[in-house]
Amino acid sequence: MSRASVELDFFGMEKQNCCKSRFQKSLDRRLSFRGLQGALSKVNPELIKSVIASGLKNPQGQDNVYQMDSNKSFSVPSSPKETQSLFPALPLLTPAARATSENGPETAPLTIFYNGTVSVFNVPRDKAESILKLAVEVEGNSKNVEPIDSKVASPPSDRQQLLETLNGDLPIARRKSLQRFLEKRKERMTCASPYAC
Amino acid sequence: MEENGNKLHKTMTSQPGMSDVVLGCVMPYIDDPKDRDAVSLVCRRWYELDALTRKHITIALCYTTSPDRLRRRFRHLESLKLKGKPRAAMFNLIPEDWGGYVTPWVNEIAENFNCLKAVHFRRMIVKDSDLEVLARSRGKVLQVLKLDKCSGFSTDGLLHVGRLCRQLRTLFLEESAIIEKDGQWLHELAVNNSVLMNLNFYMTDLMKVSCEDLEFIAQNCRNLASVKISDCEILDLVGFFHAAPVLEEFCGGLFNEQPERYAAVSFPPRLCRLGLTYMGKNEMPIVFPFASLLKKLDLLYAFLDTEDHCLLIQRCPNLEVLETRNVIGDRGLEVLARSCKRLKRLRIERGADEQEMEDEEGVVSQRGLMALAQGCLELEYLAVYVSDITNASLQYIGTYLKNLCDFRLVLLDREERITDLPLDDGVRDLLRGCEKLRRFALYLRPGGLTDVGLGYIGQYSPKVRWMLLGYVGGSDVGLLEFSKGCPSLQKLEMRGCCFSEHALAASVMQLTSLRYLWVQGYRASESGRDLLAMARPFWNIELIPARRIVGEDAVIEHPAHILAYYSLAGPRTDFPESVIPLDPSAAGISS
Repeated sequence: MSRASVELDFFGMEKQNCCKSRFQKSLDRRLSFRGLQGALSKVNPELIKSVIASGLKNPQGQDNVYQMDSNKSFSVPSSPKETQSLFPALPLLTPAARATSENGPETAPLTIFYNGTVSVFNVPRDKAESILKLAVEVEGNSKNVEPIDSKVASPPSDRQQLLETLNGDLPIARRKSLQRFLEKRKERMTCASPYAC
Repeated sequence: MEENGNKLHKTMTSQPGMSDVVLGCVMPYIDDPKDRDAVSLVCRRWYELDALTRKHITIALCYTTSPDRLRRRFRHLESLKLKGKPRAAMFNLIPEDWGGYVTPWVNEIAENFNCLKAVHFRRMIVKDSDLEVLARSRGKVLQVLKLDKCSGFSTDGLLHVGRLCRQLRTLFLEESAIIEKDGQWLHELAVNNSVLMNLNFYMTDLMKVSCEDLEFIAQNCRNLASVKISDCEILDLVGFFHAAPVLEEFCGGLFNEQPERYAAVSFPPRLCRLGLTYMGKNEMPIVFPFASLLKKLDLLYAFLDTEDHCLLIQRCPNLEVLETRNVIGDRGLEVLARSCKRLKRLRIERGADEQEMEDEEGVVSQRGLMALAQGCLELEYLAVYVSDITNASLQYIGTYLKNLCDFRLVLLDREERITDLPLDDGVRDLLRGCEKLRRFALYLRPGGLTDVGLGYIGQYSPKVRWMLLGYVGGSDVGLLEFSKGCPSLQKLEMRGCCFSEHALAASVMQLTSLRYLWVQGYRASESGRDLLAMARPFWNIELIPARRIVGEDAVIEHPAHILAYYSLAGPRTDFPESVIPLDPSAAGISS
């Protein structure tokens, strides 16, 4: 692939999203993109700093750091080696390719590895620079900034908060069969006359 | 003869108790899987005899063993049920390519299982080629084929089934995701089969099936007792109904014409299990003439409001099974409690969220539950989505519903304020009262059940084998207390937990009967290392890490899953990219 970003659509979310009704999409629209950037700004800069810094400090060629650079080959090790982490192959998520191309050269993907999850955001250059500046500024007393994939430290409470946000937001899932029925019913109702459809 | 007599004598003297001959006569009458399990553990001889005579095996997760092992032990199997994807797949929570491929099993069946007459695949991936292999190898003897919530195949695969499986009594495709090329498969079935009793392609999206073929099947198959189909105009089925005199069960259809026209439809005389898709209040009266015969009613996909439910249900005094959405409301439940004293199974599903899509009255609360508990004393299965709840209503259930084996309660999240939380005491009293309970699900919200309540669940569920717990407890303390109990718990599913990996692992080690664990939404650590506290031989641990998928205008968050299970077959070899095995050897723990 010669694109700037590697795209993996693990669960066919793209296809799923296309097939979803407007009803379902509006339900899913719980967190707008702008909202996400807002949420990010509320996160303790210390956290972002340690994450970014560790990302920067990661030696090249380590298998489980996934670069968005198209020059690097993308590898997913199937079994972890002795020294590797217990998440040897974190799935890499990217926004839809079309988002990248639509936004043009002004924005580029920024990948953040955080507590076993990977997030990718399209940010304009100046925003990216300010995040990085923030990270470098607040150098502080971080002893050895750990690469994400090594030992475990007991998470401080603010990390916990973000973890909880990521891991706790679970709407009650709906059964597939009923989901389809409710969508079909909505379609039937939106027809002006059932006999005309 | 003399020799045989001596041999028999030898057996009788060398083994106190029953001789093999006697045991061989008795063994086939032992059907219950748990009894068979016990029998096979007595001694080598009994193990072998069980292996020779066992008729049916259910493998609750296909990755817990291998086709090869199955064949080596139960070569003469007549009936096999295999399950693949976690139950959460029915709620769109599991990636489509997660796994559960039938191919290795079908290949083994084709080659070695010469006595197999019944095959049931549930939540598995089936390819057309698998169906072809199965039909070609076992078509002459296959009597039951169930592709239950399966995916990956098309109507081309079903062509082989229609053509070659002429002894089929049961073809079950309910809720499978089938790629539809044409309706030819049903025609093949119609032409080649005269013994069909149960035909089910309910809740599939098959649109190209022809009503003529259905009628043809009814004419050829004089024992046709149950037919459940996809959407098909009811008026086009008049001929079919006429041709199926012994039909007892029908589900499906649809109503697109003017209500008056449906007065012309006459149903078969023995029809007692019914579910008419998209039936509205104007079409409902066509059921009235035989409503008093109805034992099972499926209103999940009907267009009825609360009042309609009341009108219909009060005419069904012999109802034993009801499935509907929460539009039935408390008032409908009160009518049910008054009218349907023989009710054994009740399932109330969640309707639409938007106000205008469902009846205002269409909510179920403690009021309906209390009426139900007092009125339907024979209930064995109760699954309900409620909008409000109290401890008292759960206590009523514990007091009155002594036959309850399966209880599932989900507290919907629309209302901010719930009348009576936490539900600690109510849950305790329900569990203590319902002594036959085997399956239990409780899905609440933060504050719905404290650590004390979670401890009660552990303490008072001696026979429960399966549990689904959502948003229960307040901390790791609750989980650890819970896991000291539940002596029979084999399968545990949890969602929206506040528990740490450390507590999850510790609790797994404490639950003595646990063989399967599924968790989504928990306090995941950086590396998942804490989960390794539950690493042990034969225990597979798989992860689907948390994902945050950034789309154009929406961000969808998928919290991490843990799936862990005992397996004799070692780790899977067919992981998709989204699923990661946790490898204890990487952390220096020997397995």
